[in-house]
Amino acid sequence: MLVYTVISGILFGLFCSLMGIGLNLIFGVMRFVNLAHGDFLMLGAFGAYFAYTLYGISPAISVVINMIVMIVIGALIYYAFVPRLLRSRDPEMLSLIFFFGISQVIEALSVIFFTNNPRSIDWSALGTANYQLFGQSFQESWVVSALISVIAIVLVYFYLYHTKLGYATRAVMGSLDEAASSGINVHRVSAWAMGIGLALAAAAGALSPFFLGSITPNMGSDITTTSFSIIIIGSLGNPLGTVIGGLIYGLSSMFMQSYIPSWANLVPYLLLFLILLFKPSGLLGKVVRHA
Amino acid sequence: MMKTPFRVLSRIAVSGLIASAMTLSGLAAANAASTKAPKQITIGTLYAGSGSFADSSLPQYDGLKFWVNQMNAKGGVYVKAYHKKIPLKLIAYNDQSSSTTAATQYNQLITQNKVNLLVSDFGSVLTSVAVPIAQEHKMLLIDPTGTGGSFFTPNNPYIALTSLPTSGVWPTSLADYLIKNHYKRVALIYDQNDFDQSQATTLLAKLKNAKITPVYNNSVPTSTSNYSVLIHSIMATNPDAVIEFGYNTNDIPFLQSVSASGAHFKMLFTIFPGQLLSNIEQNVGVSGLAGTYTYPTPPLLVYNKVNYGLGMNAFTKEFQKSTHSAPNFLDVAGYNAGLVIQKTLENTTGLGQLQLRKALYTFSGKMFTLDGLFKLSPTGAQIGETLPVAQLIKSGNGLKVKVVYSK
Repeated sequence: MLVYTVISGILFGLFCSLMGIGLNLIFGVMRFVNLAHGDFLMLGAFGAYFAYTLYGISPAISVVINMIVMIVIGALIYYAFVPRLLRSRDPEMLSLIFFFGISQVIEALSVIFFTNNPRSIDWSALGTANYQLFGQSFQESWVVSALISVIAIVLVYFYLYHTKLGYATRAVMGSLDEAASSGINVHRVSAWAMGIGLALAAAAGALSPFFLGSITPNMGSDITTTSFSIIIIGSLGNPLGTVIGGLIYGLSSMFMQSYIPSWANLVPYLLLFLILLFKPSGLLGKVVRHA
Repeated sequence: MMKTPFRVLSRIAVSGLIASAMTLSGLAAANAASTKAPKQITIGTLYAGSGSFADSSLPQYDGLKFWVNQMNAKGGVYVKAYHKKIPLKLIAYNDQSSSTTAATQYNQLITQNKVNLLVSDFGSVLTSVAVPIAQEHKMLLIDPTGTGGSFFTPNNPYIALTSLPTSGVWPTSLADYLIKNHYKRVALIYDQNDFDQSQATTLLAKLKNAKITPVYNNSVPTSTSNYSVLIHSIMATNPDAVIEFGYNTNDIPFLQSVSASGAHFKMLFTIFPGQLLSNIEQNVGVSGLAGTYTYPTPPLLVYNKVNYGLGMNAFTKEFQKSTHSAPNFLDVAGYNAGLVIQKTLENTTGLGQLQLRKALYTFSGKMFTLDGLFKLSPTGAQIGETLPVAQLIKSGNGLKVKVVYSK
């Protein structure tokens, strides 16, 4: 039981890391909280659902399709709205209102187009095998989803630490003004960050039916809350801290479900409370500030 | 004998009082006779256009709208108090599955729109806020599917449940079935809401009476959608019957997780396949549902011999013609609430809320609709309809329902 819980927690935690990492990337670069994060994830989930049910496209392929589409959408949203927000007196507050509005619009349109009925992808879409890990049997969809999450997270790491654009992104995350004065095209970097942030959300969306059960147009707000908890646990503004946050969240959720299921809902709020009480900057907060 | 001035005065006073009383009563009678019938009967209701209850609330609302349209096409509903047909007007607000929003809107329907009849939204969660508001405003609440047992108390005459028995009664047949078939290792998992908790309480009490202690008994938050670890915990207890009480948004991931885990239980029971079969089948697949058990409701239970409203087959035909979609149980529940309102207005002596309630009891136990027998307890709870236990059996590419136990 304990071993099963720990491994489930790690698999679920890796997915949670992917769920939150895009939100943290956008916050790190632009200092905006994307309140529509969960709604973009939901769009990714429905994209994968329709790709699978209408054309038989595997959700693993949908992860890639979702990412490409969302990078474009993210860049378009950035150039259409964000520079105007940045010119305002209080861009952070306005961005909250803006993304809340986007969230409401996405949800309303999704209800119209997708209806409110819960949908789900056949659990065998990512394979029917059962994997034996430390003597415990795990469904293939969980193992494959966790592996895809790891690949996506490694790609984010590679982008941030081994590409020119990634260096520029980290510079903007450190100080927007200093990055701009050193000749970095802040808008270009931010547009990429926005696109990649939404792409990661949509990638998580394609895998969400396997971890979160059925998908509905109104799932977004809960996911935004959970993602926000995850990134605060890791550290706001540090995308890789999200991995730690995700793993802690995943393990805590599974332990609660195994041993005190009635209280499982409290996990994100309890963790948030503890982190804010004992380490308000997040577990990797120090690393970010002095990087 | 000479009359004293005092006696004369008192006789004059008494005569005056009698005359005044006669005049007043005459005026009252004249007023009652001359009271004009309202131009329309307003029915206020809420629906969840989005949120977790939308997929159940919208069909219930569709069923009610279907009934209103049917009545208006015939010139309105007959109201006994006015001896004429009066058109209906449905006023509906979208509560977005939020009980806080619903509370405000129920108040608005009563105090601002001044509706004649109040119909609650789907389910116990969205009805729970309506119950005290209706009681406070002395407004009869027509409750189609809010089956929480705590809504029905002897000191609240302002509620009437139109479909389904109170949720505490639901597991009666299920418990009997489990006991009769000698299931000794029962695992129970249920959601933390009034609807599921009251069922769990009843089931546990009945099992206890039969000296059966569940091998697994845990509640989970209603928002639970990841059941993999929970199913693993259940499997570890080696049960022969697994009972899951949840809403459809729980049943779908639960059944999927069971399929994905490769777990096999001798008996697996969930609630909502009996109410929203096509929706759950679409998500879980025939193989995920085949062999499982549920409470079947209309249209899975077909009542064509009715003494009021359309029978099941006629309703299905008319509903499909009108909405271009096949009805599910909640469409039936919405329509059935309309039928109860129709019969109430046909029997009422006025539009006063207690008059409406009195009218309900004139046909309680006598009206049989496509939803079954309509019978109210003294507290307004539904006791006419019963929920049998059925097994879903694979038949060709689909599923058929086989009732295995009925009380």
